Formats: sequence, structure tokens, C-alpha cells
Amino acid sequence: MDSESKLSYYIAKSESINHSMLEKKIKVAILSSFTLIGLAEVFCVKCADKKVSCVTYVSGYDQYNQDILNYESELYKFSPEISFLVLDTRSILKNLFYSPYSVSAAERKEYIDRRASELISIAKTFTRRSNSKLIITNFTVPTYSPYGIYETKTDYSLQDTIRDLNFKLNSGLLSEPSVYVYDFNAFVTKHGENNLFDYRQFLFGDIKVALNYIPYLAEDLMGYIKPVLGINRKCIVLDLDNTLWGGVVGEDGFEGIELGPKAPGSAFVEFQRHLLSLYQRGVILAVNSKNNPEDALKVLRDHPYMVLREENFASLRINWIDKISNMREIAEELNIGLDSIVYFDDDPINREIMAKALPEVLTVDLPKDPSLYTPRLVRLNDFNVLKITTEDAKRGEMYLQQRKRSELEKTVSNMEDFLSQLGIKIKIKKADQFTIPRIAQLILKTNQFNLTTHRYQEEDIRNFSHDKNMLVGCAQVEDKFGDNGITGAFIVRKDNPSEWTIDTFLLSCRVMGRGAEDAIMAFILNEAKAEGVTKIRGQYIPTNKNKPCEDFLPSYGFKSEGEYWVYSANMPTKIPHHLELLIE
Amino acid sequence: MSDKLYDVIAEVMNVPISQIKNESSAETLETWDSFRGLVLMDQLETTFNVKFTLDEVLHSKTVYEIKRNLRNHGILLD
Repeated sequence: MDSESKLSYYIAKSESINHSMLEKKIKVAILSSFTLIGLAEVFCVKCADKKVSCVTYVSGYDQYNQDILNYESELYKFSPEISFLVLDTRSILKNLFYSPYSVSAAERKEYIDRRASELISIAKTFTRRSNSKLIITNFTVPTYSPYGIYETKTDYSLQDTIRDLNFKLNSGLLSEPSVYVYDFNAFVTKHGENNLFDYRQFLFGDIKVALNYIPYLAEDLMGYIKPVLGINRKCIVLDLDNTLWGGVVGEDGFEGIELGPKAPGSAFVEFQRHLLSLYQRGVILAVNSKNNPEDALKVLRDHPYMVLREENFASLRINWIDKISNMREIAEELNIGLDSIVYFDDDPINREIMAKALPEVLTVDLPKDPSLYTPRLVRLNDFNVLKITTEDAKRGEMYLQQRKRSELEKTVSNMEDFLSQLGIKIKIKKADQFTIPRIAQLILKTNQFNLTTHRYQEEDIRNFSHDKNMLVGCAQVEDKFGDNGITGAFIVRKDNPSEWTIDTFLLSCRVMGRGAEDAIMAFILNEAKAEGVTKIRGQYIPTNKNKPCEDFLPSYGFKSEGEYWVYSANMPTKIPHHLELLIE
Repeated sequence: MSDKLYDVIAEVMNVPISQIKNESSAETLETWDSFRGLVLMDQLETTFNVKFTLDEVLHSKTVYEIKRNLRNHGILLD
């Protein structure tokens, strides 16, 4: 297993961060029921490594209740984007932790019910007053009981109290969109209570996570910070020989490679099974490998123990071209940034070349021993998303459809024929409880066709959707090969009865170049006209990624006016005739 | 071995090695607060492969005391 650096390393490093050199910024609040020192410093260093400046607010010792309940508190003045409320079993159980059986099972249950509803209510209070995401930790199930072996024969035992509290906390907050329960109990299980709880530190300073383990806790919690910042990753690019199977297929042959139920081949099967589970969740897979294509494809198609098959890969670059060029082409073909890619290759030299040439790609330092590939993979917390939508689960299928579209594109002679043969339908949908999670996802991660790149959290979108001075919606794009799902979104501000401003207008790269943007714009303009609006303002705010939509507004007919592009209602709207526009 | 000790103290307290003396303490080094004191204990335990007692943790407020505690665990210092 990879180990974390010591806390002293992070503390020293946190003092030399040059915040002015960092590209993004995040405000993080840390609230705790015990002394939780060092966490802020580790966050700052880990964020700085990702070019993010992290500013923290650390609540006073056990002051979380006051901080949340008092509307005037420093916490709200700080206005965090993400807040961690880290609690512990001793603080919540109080004397019951030491003397659980001094009261009846019914009294224990009543105590837990009360604590659970208090916590749920405090979480809700916080998110009503703040735009921050709240991550609240659950509780460690005690490993010690005064009842010893009789513990599990006891009704509503000490351990049951915490299990029940964890369950109630989770179910009570399940439908709260901006609250997440962090499974702290699982964290303790993973590292072991004997390591994590240092009695000296506890007795000396009420420290309940040993200082050595603060970096591990921070790493786990970074799993929430990355998707809030939109710096999570979407795609795993894999080498083949000695990465997906043991040996070199060009030398050892189809039958000679190590892949199957027996060790060492089982290590590769295990690794592939975990990759498949990520694929099923929406992570894109691709291959970048130096092999004879026939040799490698035969394994992908016919090997009895391959778990991943050709159709699981959105892009296959199996050739003798250098891996850097291949990697660039994969990013281009899949329409994703290099900073969305995680690269697995067993060869340290290849890794070094990749890391030097394309530092945006996360090149995984793969251990030599293939049995350690799986633990290395599952430790990555870069694929976390705050919401798993139906679009995510279908992503693999969509890439297959995309490959079929490309094939059709190659057979027809011009673009117009291609588009009209696709039979594209655009469905405009309102922002509602079903579409808001996906709209938020698009707003947080769309980079290329995004006019303003304003980033809003799900709570913001929900507020906008209730505001009668805003128009929030999205577009679902379908064609004969399949449903691309919701792939466009827009937010329009109704400034006054005669003027509207397009605050956000974006299109997923998945459907770029098919005229969907024209249809969505036509919808907005027609809505505006119907309400008697005479002037619609649009804006293009350049970033280093949104070049693809630079010309969109002028090409649609918007006229330059200062920093805006303006459309007058007396001008016609245009919908390309190869498209069908439906409004729900 | 003293070199190693001074290295660790300098790193944790974020001060040049030259500033660290036998008499250095939480009083004389600005960065030496109770939190850094604990981080220092933690780092020393890893570096010298020892486990301090609670009493030693409580009485580690000067370089001199730390040396004494390390000697208690059989660490030879010059």
C-alpha cells in the first residue's frame, strides 16, 4: 500500500505555499467535537499540489454547535464552499460510552433517537443558512464493551447504539442534496483503531485521530473537495502487456500470457474486475499500448479470461506510435481534457516520459507487483462525483454509439447528409427535481462549449429554478443511434420586462458540432419574444478551454456591444432543418 | 545522534538548525506551541523508533528534556 507522508512534512510545506501562483480557490471549514489539528494544513498542501489555493476556517474546540446555530458566527462570515463536521463516539455518547448498561435498553434507544434528530436538524440548519456542502462524519462502532463476549447477546447493546445512530444519520440525511455522510467508521476499520487512536494524544490534548493519520483522513476527505472544484477525473487509459495481463502477448503468445483464475494471472483478472466496475459507474476506459493490433485485439476479443472486452473501451490506440501522441489523440477523440485522464502503465520509463511530457495526465505510480494493482486503483479518489446520474451509468454505451456515428460520418460524402441521416431530436426540459442534478453536473464540469463558465452548485441551481426572474432549463439530445441524455443547459436572467441576459449556455462535448446549440438558442430567443423582450444579451468569457464556442454568438447573429453580444427580438431565430425541436 | 534530533526539531519547528540549542524550548522558539510539540513527539518516535510515555510527552518542553527522554529509551546522544 502507498503510505502517506508524515504530518510534519505537510505542516512544513504548508508554510511555503505561494497562493498567488495557484489557479483556483476553495474555502473549507472544519468543525469538530475534539482537537483536530493539522487537517487544515494537509488540505492546503494537497490542494496546492493541484494548483488550488485552499483557505480554511477551523472552528474552536467543540464549538460546532454554537458556530452553526449562531447566524452571526465567524463560520457564516467565512462563507465556506465545503464544510467538514468531524464528530466522535465518545463525545456523542458521553457517559453512556463508559457505562452503557447503567440504563435500560429503552433509555439507550431514546438517547440515540434524540442525538440523531439533533444532528440531522443541525445539518439542515447549516445548509439552509449556507451555500456550503456539508460533510458530516458518522461514528466509530466501539470495539470494547464492558459486557465482553456477552455484548452480542445484549438487546440494543453499546455497539448497536452506534450502528443505529449511523443508520439514522444516513437515512435522515439521504435526501438532503448538499449533505454527505462520510463513513468515518469505515476509515477507522481500514486503518485499525489501535493505530488511529493514541491514548497519549487523547489524554494529553483530546486528540481522537492520531496525528500520523491526519494525512490519511485528509486524503479521504479530498474525495469531496475534488468534485466540488471540478478537478476529478473521467477516464482511465491503460497499457496492455503486464498491465491488463501478465507477459508480452507478441512474445509469449495468446496462450502464454498470464491471465486466469490461478495466480499470478488472477491478479490481472482482479484488476480488470475493478476496472469494469468503474466502467459500469461511468468512468471511460481506453487503451494506449505498443503492440501488434492483431495480437492485442485477439486477446481482447477471444481470451476466455479477459473481463474487459473491446466494447468496454471508448478508444483503442494499439500501435507502434509513441504513447504521448496516442494520449493526445485519445483526449481529442473522446473530447476530454488531458487533465481528465488517469494513466496506468507497468513500465516506469514510459511513466516517467508521460509524466514529463503531459503533466496534466495523472500517471499512476504502479507498484511492480501486479497483486498490488487493485489496491492502488481503489485508493484513487479522483473519480468521485457528488451525484451519480443515469447519464453516468450509460456513458460506456454512449461512447459505443459515438463510434457508430463516426463510422456513418465516414461513409457519407458531406456533413449535411450525415446530420440529416442522424435524425436528431432536441428536447427542451425545465429544471426540476429530475433534471437539476444533471444540470449542476454539466455546469460544474463543462469546459469547451461553455460561454461563461460560471460554476454553480446544485443548491444554486435549485434556487434559480424557483426564481421567477430566471429561466433555467436543459436539453436532451437523441438520434437514431441512441439517447445522449441531457447534454445542454442554460440559465437566463430576466433583468427587466424588456431585457434578458444569458448567464450560462453550455453544451456537452458529446453532442458538439450537430447544431444542437442553434436549436437551444432558438428556444431561449422564442421564449424571450413571447414575453415581449426586445433585447437579449449574451457573453463570451474566454478561458483556456472554451475556444470551441468563441464564434457562436456572432455566427448566430448577436451584435457586439461593449463586453456583451446583443440580439434584438426583431431578428429571426434559426433552427437547422436537420433537427427537430421539442419542448416539454 | 544529536544531529538527527536537531534535524527533526528544525523541520518540525521550521527554524534553521543553528537556532537550536540545548536550552531551546517552547519559551524560546516562537513556533513551538503545544500542537507542534505533539507533532515533534510523533516525528521523534518514528525517527528513533521509540514510544514515549504520557509523562515523557508532558515533560518534553525543552531540547534538554527531550534528550533525557530519548536516553531513557536507550538512544545514545553525544
